[in-house]
Amino acid sequence: MTPAHFAFSSTFMLGLAGLAFHRTHLLSALLCLEGMMLSLFIALALWTLQLDSTNFASSPMILLAFSACEASAGLALLVATARTHGTDRLQSLNLLQC
Amino acid sequence: MNPYILATLLFGLGLGTTITFASSHWLFAWMGLEINTLAIIPLMAQSHHPRAVEATTKYFLAQATAAAMLLFASISNAWLSGQWDIHQMSHPLPTTLITLALALKIGLAPLHTWMPEVLQGLDLTTGLILSTWQKLAPFCLLLQVQPANATLLLVLGITSTLVGGWGGLNQTQLRKILAYSSIAHLGWMILVLQFSPSLTFLTLLVYFIMTFSLFISFKISNATNINTLATSWAKAPALTSIIPLILLSLGGLPPLTGFLPKWLILQELTKQDLAPLATVAALSALLSLFFYLRLSYAMTLTMTPNNLTATLPWRLPSLQTTLPLAIASSATICLLPLAPATAALFTW
Repeated sequence: MTPAHFAFSSTFMLGLAGLAFHRTHLLSALLCLEGMMLSLFIALALWTLQLDSTNFASSPMILLAFSACEASAGLALLVATARTHGTDRLQSLNLLQC
Repeated sequence: MNPYILATLLFGLGLGTTITFASSHWLFAWMGLEINTLAIIPLMAQSHHPRAVEATTKYFLAQATAAAMLLFASISNAWLSGQWDIHQMSHPLPTTLITLALALKIGLAPLHTWMPEVLQGLDLTTGLILSTWQKLAPFCLLLQVQPANATLLLVLGITSTLVGGWGGLNQTQLRKILAYSSIAHLGWMILVLQFSPSLTFLTLLVYFIMTFSLFISFKISNATNINTLATSWAKAPALTSIIPLILLSLGGLPPLTGFLPKWLILQELTKQDLAPLATVAALSALLSLFFYLRLSYAMTLTMTPNNLTATLPWRLPSLQTTLPLAIASSATICLLPLAPATAALFTW
């Protein structure tokens, strides 16, 4: 395991742990998701740089575009939950339990 | 919803699954999954009801996490072995991570908790898309990845069948029951995945047919809980006799289609010297059979004392088309005699 691999793996795992265990606000969950996607961006960009491959040069940008779409969908859902539930706390998302 | 936007979203649903089907590269497979998720989110949230929005949020969080984990595992695989091919996963760690990420995507047992809640918040048509079409792309990936260790898939499968049985026992909401039945069926598919992928595919398609006819018939009688189901005889008397057969087919009783996959899976497991596992799986099917039987009991086998709000609505012509239901329900009920032909379709 190279230092770069260790770095992006631990960043991703930190983001995943934040998403899984810090369940207070929807916004913080979305930020953790974004952090995970950015660590993947760094991983993909470093992989491309190491191999000097032109085939792969566009893949980090594709990843970034998709993660931006995902983040915008998440923010739209944040607005929707704020309008329907009155808050963005994940605790209030309890209508469907039984 | 604007028909142009609806057409775009449905096109996106099809496109995502097709991209995942056609890809041999992990990045494209991930792109297909993301397109799939992003296309169904507006469909799920279109009613602006608090329950729908909540279900969409939960679905989004689960699917986005699973997709990110999938991509992380494939990038790790690329760093470790230099391979992006789906078929050539050599390192065990990324393979295990990918299996777990796909399990989260389709809702297998230890990672299933989003599934009943999400399905509960949706209307029946979107729920149908969610529990059939959306499973197709992750399942196609799961079929292609070489399993890293045999026990992981077996544990996932047997936990799913057990949890799917236990979870549905105490439910009165039809959509939650459908979600738990989906979890149990996926467990059966995962049990046999590493021994016979063609059998898994057969089970998936039979499950699709059965779930399709059940969702459509619930939609025609407009039922979302057992109480409504009990008075639905006044609305569609023919459906009252069909739905119990569909339910028992889902439960896997012998003269009906649902028995075919269970039969073949139990045979395959016994062939692989896994008779204790096969026994536990067969017993866990009894748990599911209990709640299917309770649904058919409430619907057909007993007359409920509920008051009807309208007098005999079956006299009014129905506005919904029933041809798809007719085809799917006859396939659900009487495909078992065609078992050799059905099984031969899926051997490769």
